[in-house]
Amino acid sequence: MKPDEKALVVALAGAPNVGKSTVFNLLTGLSQHVGNWPGKTVEQKTGIVRHNGLTIQLVDLPGTYSLTANSLEEQIARDYLVTEKPDLVVALLNAASLDRHLYLVTELMELTPRLIIALNMVDVALQEGIKIDVKALESALNMPVVPMVASKNQGLKELVEVIAQKCGKPVDSQAVGHVEFGSQISGDIAHIESLLTDEDTNPYPRHWAAMKMLEGDSQINKLLKNRLSEDRWAELDLFLNDKESAALTLAGLRFDWVKNVLSSTQEKPPIGRVSFTEKLDRAATHPIWGLVTLAVVMSLIFLVVYGIGIPTQHSLQVSLIERAQALVLDHMHFMPDWLQSFFGNGLLGGVGMVLTFVPILFLFFMVWGFLEDVGYTARVAFVTDRFMHFLGLHGKSSLPLLLGFGCNVPAVMGTRIIESKRARLLTVLLAPLIPCAGRMAVIGVIAAAIFGGQAIIVALGVIAISLVVLVVLGLLMNRFVFGSKRSALMMELPLYHEPNPRTIGLISWQRTTAFIKRTGTVILVVSIIIWILSYFPGGSIEESVLGRIGIWLEPFSKLMGLSWQPMVALLTSFVAKENTIATLGVLLGGGNAGLSQALRGILTPAAAIAFLVAQVLFVPCVATLSAIRQETGGWRWVAFSLSLQLVLSFSLAIAVFQIARLLGV
Amino acid sequence: MRSERVEEYLEAISRRQKTEMPVSTSSLAADLGVSLPAVTDMIRRLEADGLIEYEPNKGVSLTSEGSRAALSTIRRHRLWERFLTDILGLRWDKVHDEACRLEHATSPETEKRLASLLGDADTCPHGQPIPDKNGNVKDQNVRPLSEFETGQKVLISAVVKEDGRLLRKIAKWGLKPKSIVKIEKKNDDGSLELKMDGQILRLDKSTADYLMAIPLFAGKEAVDEEIPVSRLLNGESGIFKTYTGERAMLGRLISLGFTPASSVRMIENFRSGPILVKLHDVEVALDREMAAKIIVTRNNLGC
Repeated sequence: MKPDEKALVVALAGAPNVGKSTVFNLLTGLSQHVGNWPGKTVEQKTGIVRHNGLTIQLVDLPGTYSLTANSLEEQIARDYLVTEKPDLVVALLNAASLDRHLYLVTELMELTPRLIIALNMVDVALQEGIKIDVKALESALNMPVVPMVASKNQGLKELVEVIAQKCGKPVDSQAVGHVEFGSQISGDIAHIESLLTDEDTNPYPRHWAAMKMLEGDSQINKLLKNRLSEDRWAELDLFLNDKESAALTLAGLRFDWVKNVLSSTQEKPPIGRVSFTEKLDRAATHPIWGLVTLAVVMSLIFLVVYGIGIPTQHSLQVSLIERAQALVLDHMHFMPDWLQSFFGNGLLGGVGMVLTFVPILFLFFMVWGFLEDVGYTARVAFVTDRFMHFLGLHGKSSLPLLLGFGCNVPAVMGTRIIESKRARLLTVLLAPLIPCAGRMAVIGVIAAAIFGGQAIIVALGVIAISLVVLVVLGLLMNRFVFGSKRSALMMELPLYHEPNPRTIGLISWQRTTAFIKRTGTVILVVSIIIWILSYFPGGSIEESVLGRIGIWLEPFSKLMGLSWQPMVALLTSFVAKENTIATLGVLLGGGNAGLSQALRGILTPAAAIAFLVAQVLFVPCVATLSAIRQETGGWRWVAFSLSLQLVLSFSLAIAVFQIARLLGV
Repeated sequence: MRSERVEEYLEAISRRQKTEMPVSTSSLAADLGVSLPAVTDMIRRLEADGLIEYEPNKGVSLTSEGSRAALSTIRRHRLWERFLTDILGLRWDKVHDEACRLEHATSPETEKRLASLLGDADTCPHGQPIPDKNGNVKDQNVRPLSEFETGQKVLISAVVKEDGRLLRKIAKWGLKPKSIVKIEKKNDDGSLELKMDGQILRLDKSTADYLMAIPLFAGKEAVDEEIPVSRLLNGESGIFKTYTGERAMLGRLISLGFTPASSVRMIENFRSGPILVKLHDVEVALDREMAAKIIVTRNNLGC
């Protein structure tokens, strides 16, 4: 965020699933900056809106239903309002469930004097038979109300105009409002207030902090517990102990206020007609049909990804990377050999190879964005919840894991939808155990070369092994690393709605570019290091450090029945899983046709199975590790994941080889 | 298709039959706003067509064919009303007259499409049941509000007089169908004092006559049944009472809409796995363990 003196700062608040990102994207277009909230792993988006010479800096607050600190998002949102004091706050509400969404307004008006209501999805509301009298709502709330249909690009211009207009006027009063609480609650709040000083509650307003304490807000309570002397805290605590039910009472009062506002401004169909969403959900959330639906949806996704993404990746590899490599070889004779190899193998073969996966990644982000926009992701979580319980996780973890079958990177990044830190971390650590498309390709090539007609059985067996490992590991980690505390599923299933291609495109683009920006350096550095190791000092992979490590490790790899070449291939798969095949090709020589022959020469069936097991469980690729670092905010869990999978991969491969040999495979 | 006039007559007789059997020709003349001789003329025609039976000096009653025809007209009428409010967004006090005109010009095909567009809605916007396509009407245990006694809690099910002014008045009070009221006091003149959402409403006898209601509890001695939300069966609803689990989770529940006295309807509750409820028009998924700690008062409704 660049401090621009003239820019007005406008915060966009609203619950999840009200179309906040659509509105934000439409208003700011490509002028946005995506980062993280200071010190948090929650995404922060800011962007610029220009209107009649006015520059508005729009800040997208995390999606929240309320402003009581139940989650990181809520805490961030309210801290922003308190400390940054934006010039204006736009509350984006869903017109189809106003009674739910106006609740947030009752909390927002306690923190900010200047509010604008943006009433999104008025089309959905109308479709559900709900009629809202906008003028009456404006006067009841004493705030401007702008009806809009963001998905159809309606009402946004009006919103900007109202923002500009409201900003032009001086603030009538800095006083913030709130719902009338009645003497009992007001008395309690006043009493708590009297026990506190402004300094104690800084930066929060004292009155507000007192109210939140009464509501049992854990963050404010913790803050004051740390700040106050023991005696003063004890006095407060004693008083609050008696007020357990106040949170519900307050919520009730707020909600009564909402109902009161709506009674004169909204007309609802008297009889609850079964809505479109409910009808679809009869299938989509049914314990059996829901799974069938999920299976169909996932098959379609993989059909698309494997049908478009992988051929694209492959043709990029052939037409771009390999052609460029040939060019380097043909035209750069004047350079020393090592420089040629650096460009050809290090940069093009490493970074270039990773880059060819960008279309697949983009495609996955599209699919993910689409499912999110339509509202299906929440249903996936719902139908799979019961299975995830085994792992101490809840349903929100299943979509990221399912995406992992395509690529582990979106899987790791997709864990963002999980609120519980613990569940999120566990999912991040389990995601790389899902065999991604890259590993599947390696399994395919090697199984076909060694096992011929039985390749498919072997391939499925190896995949099954990796999934069993995932489940067992999940159980163990849940038990011993995370102390068996299961997080409970609790979430809204949003109304289904028409996807907005522009939003999906923009979000996928952002996610892809953000990923490249944040992980590009790491991938570059690691690729170069691997290249150096595989080139120096001998000038070829056989005589390189990597080659020597492989040879030096041979006694160890013999335990898996492997000679040094597959071991080296495994090591190079660190950059990208597909490299396994490329490296084997180089080490064994003889192009694609010869590779099968050569593979049969060095791998016995038992060794081949061991190799595949080692390969499928081997350390996550650089891109995935970078994603893990990004999502967990440090190297600690990257190191954990690396060592865990290294140990797993080798020990299981050894076990598999030894057992297979005993069985006489 | 029968002529508009015929349909009008059959419909009027059918409506009247609920309170008057057989229906006198003078009531018919009053309901339809036509002269007595005109009614007599028409009655002869209807009798000849086998749609009604006429007993001179007593009145008319529908034959089974006549009653089928009448229900079919009523069905179209109420479907159109739903269409006008739900799809076109007309206010509920304006749809009756429109529907009166549309009902006669509706082909079976249009009727079928209309019904499916409306998701096979089963009541009109005023809460009256829509006969199904075979002419069956769901039997409802309804009585006029004026027949209930002090202290009873009832669910308003329908407004049976489709008079614009009355409907506007009811809408303003928020007394629309599906609202739950308690009769605080019944005066000698038949007027009522109702309590709804903490507010007191006063109704005169004639208004109370036109509001149909369903008793919420079998008798006065019936106790509100407090159960965990996880014990509600599919389709049942309850009123959120309290949460008995960890305090830390309460805030999240509130932010998902579990505010005191909100109505919770169970959408999906199978033996295991998470449950799905609807509250404040939003579907909320809840872990079963969590749901076991959410206490609701079950609405003892038949459906």
